[in-house]
Amino acid sequence: MIEIRNLTKIYGKQTVLNIPELKIDKGESFGLVGNNGAGKTTMFRCVLDLIRPNTGTVLSKNNNVASTEIWKHYTGSFLDDNFLIDFLTPEEYFRFVADVYRLTAGDLEAFYQEFEDFFNNEILGKRKLIRNLSSGNRQKIGIAAALMPKPEILVLDEPFNNLDPSTQIRLKSILKSWQKEKEITMLISSHDLNHITEVCNRIVILHEGIMVHDLVTNPDTFRVLEEYFAVKG
Amino acid sequence: MFIRFLLLQIKTATRSPMWQKNLALNLVIGFFLLLFAGYLLMLGLLVNQIMNELLPHQDHFRLFNGILIYYFLGDLLIRFLMQSLPVLTIESFLHLPIRKGTIIRYMIGRTLFDIFSFLPLFILVPVTFTIVIPHEGGLIASLWISTLIVLILSNNFLVTYLKRLLGTKPAVVGAFGLVLILLVILDRANLISLSSISSDIFGYFTHHPLLTLLLVGWMIFTYRLHYQFLSKHLFPDEMQKKKVKEIHDQAESRFLKSMGLTGSIISLEFKLYLRNKRTKTILYMAPVFLLYGMYFYPQNHNQYQDVVLLFVGIFMTGGMMLNYANYAFGYESCYFDGLLTKNIDFNQYILVKFYIAVLISTLCFILTIPYVFYGFKILLINAAMYLYNIGVLSFVLLYFATFNKKRIDLSRGGAFNYQGFGAMNWLALIPTFILPLLVYLPFRMSGHPNTGIAFTGFLGIIGLFFTRFLIRQITKSFFRRKYIMAASFREK
Repeated sequence: MIEIRNLTKIYGKQTVLNIPELKIDKGESFGLVGNNGAGKTTMFRCVLDLIRPNTGTVLSKNNNVASTEIWKHYTGSFLDDNFLIDFLTPEEYFRFVADVYRLTAGDLEAFYQEFEDFFNNEILGKRKLIRNLSSGNRQKIGIAAALMPKPEILVLDEPFNNLDPSTQIRLKSILKSWQKEKEITMLISSHDLNHITEVCNRIVILHEGIMVHDLVTNPDTFRVLEEYFAVKG
Repeated sequence: MFIRFLLLQIKTATRSPMWQKNLALNLVIGFFLLLFAGYLLMLGLLVNQIMNELLPHQDHFRLFNGILIYYFLGDLLIRFLMQSLPVLTIESFLHLPIRKGTIIRYMIGRTLFDIFSFLPLFILVPVTFTIVIPHEGGLIASLWISTLIVLILSNNFLVTYLKRLLGTKPAVVGAFGLVLILLVILDRANLISLSSISSDIFGYFTHHPLLTLLLVGWMIFTYRLHYQFLSKHLFPDEMQKKKVKEIHDQAESRFLKSMGLTGSIISLEFKLYLRNKRTKTILYMAPVFLLYGMYFYPQNHNQYQDVVLLFVGIFMTGGMMLNYANYAFGYESCYFDGLLTKNIDFNQYILVKFYIAVLISTLCFILTIPYVFYGFKILLINAAMYLYNIGVLSFVLLYFATFNKKRIDLSRGGAFNYQGFGAMNWLALIPTFILPLLVYLPFRMSGHPNTGIAFTGFLGIIGLFFTRFLIRQITKSFFRRKYIMAASFREK
């Protein structure tokens, strides 16, 4: 589904990302962990064609993300607040996203119903602009908007940050059920080792831009991760 | 502590990326401020001579005192409109073991470092030497100038207090404004004479030191007012005067809805303009562009009248469009990443921006039609400039906009806000003003000015025929530049 070849990103003299090869299969849930500055966001930005890598390519369904735009049809993403249009109300923003992906009013209604629990009455009908909402609620809007077009590939950067415990649990169950039912390919980064081992079936540890571990999740993974980061810390 | 706060603020200012990027612009602004101060100094030195020339046999001291009340009332008004409250991010200090009084004293004291407090001194000090000392002697003069300084300080404390109050009690501020307006109306109606009151008051004060003490009392009172207010409201959530307004779900116009993505981009742009402080200030400035003609059209015709009319025409029909197109992408810097990752056809997206630019220019043109009152030729010139604006300038500006790579914080006001104003914006002014002139001048010099004007408009029509092609070129530039734009838009 996603193939990374010889990808490097260099700022000044510092190589912040160096991935010779990485393949993510369809339906795989790919978790990315690493301390601050490990290059997680940089990698996701390369995957989403938001920064130009110094070398290498990212292929999405064999399309180079930098030279085509087809991948945008089937890729949902939320990295940070720069993805939200903060002077809109949540409804207006969702409607905008729906228009962009050419969804009908019925699709939008179905989306609202599906995410009713996730929003927990804190998002819709509040008549507030997104910029006046708490960061947790903004995060919810971003994640929901990324899922709205029912993407085949989903890219989320630290999605559990800022979310309250209930929403974290709801998000996990949404991600797991979409994996199972829709075979969605997910790229998720997190600082929370618990969440990531629960949601992802493959976990990669990034350190100073290099993939140092590539693990298939099993009951032992959490311990391995904890050991790794205990030494690093 | 005061010094430390001040150093912190200086660091905040000089370390912001805006400052570093716009160093040149800051230098230019600084230069103009110095120039202005120089003019004031000269005026201050010459005021006595000017009065000698114009009103030779009158009491200059009294005359000058007569102006003062207007100055202080005007100062109140101008400060109220223009003086910005220095923002000390108090959140970062409240939890530290710093006495609240210290923070408050700093917050108030900091307001004194403002051009409105310094600039008048450039006039008043020379006047003290040229008029007051010869007239009244050194002692009285020193009393006089101290009185005025006390008043300047009081004005400062009062206005900054009122501005803070505006957030919580707008009615009080409104009442205060009404009193001021009433005073001016009474003066205009000759019911009272502010200038003779002013002359009496300021003349009187200088001879009665006790009354000066009264003024000092007034200054302390305004200071205390401000101090009390702050000590009651020194909470981050109360200092923000922003009220979260309820947004009512607007039914999107059916017309826009029927246009699909085009419609939703247009409605997004509308909301962008109506809901952000910076863009709103620009909308408020729109009448200034349109009233430009009022100033130029009635003037006497000179030999360059036609060139002036050309400029006025470009400015009125294109000024607002210039602002829109310049920041066509810059205004979206806060959600640029979001746009790039979405399934948007950017060719269409830029085309829509072009349509909006045309729409803005068209509205401006329609609104300037009444100037036909000053002659049919003016309408023709404006029409030609309008065509040039939508058919040439719009494309050039959108192309340059792809080189504009500064993040713009929409929540800050637009007047005197140069955030996001880069070299490209200066460059954009060249096609705006020079190009049409270059087209026109050869015709004018060969004695066919009307053909020249028509030809300028004709260029616009040609441009419109190539819309698709030109938009494709802009889109190409957009894609070439998008990484650079996105990277700098992310920088706060």
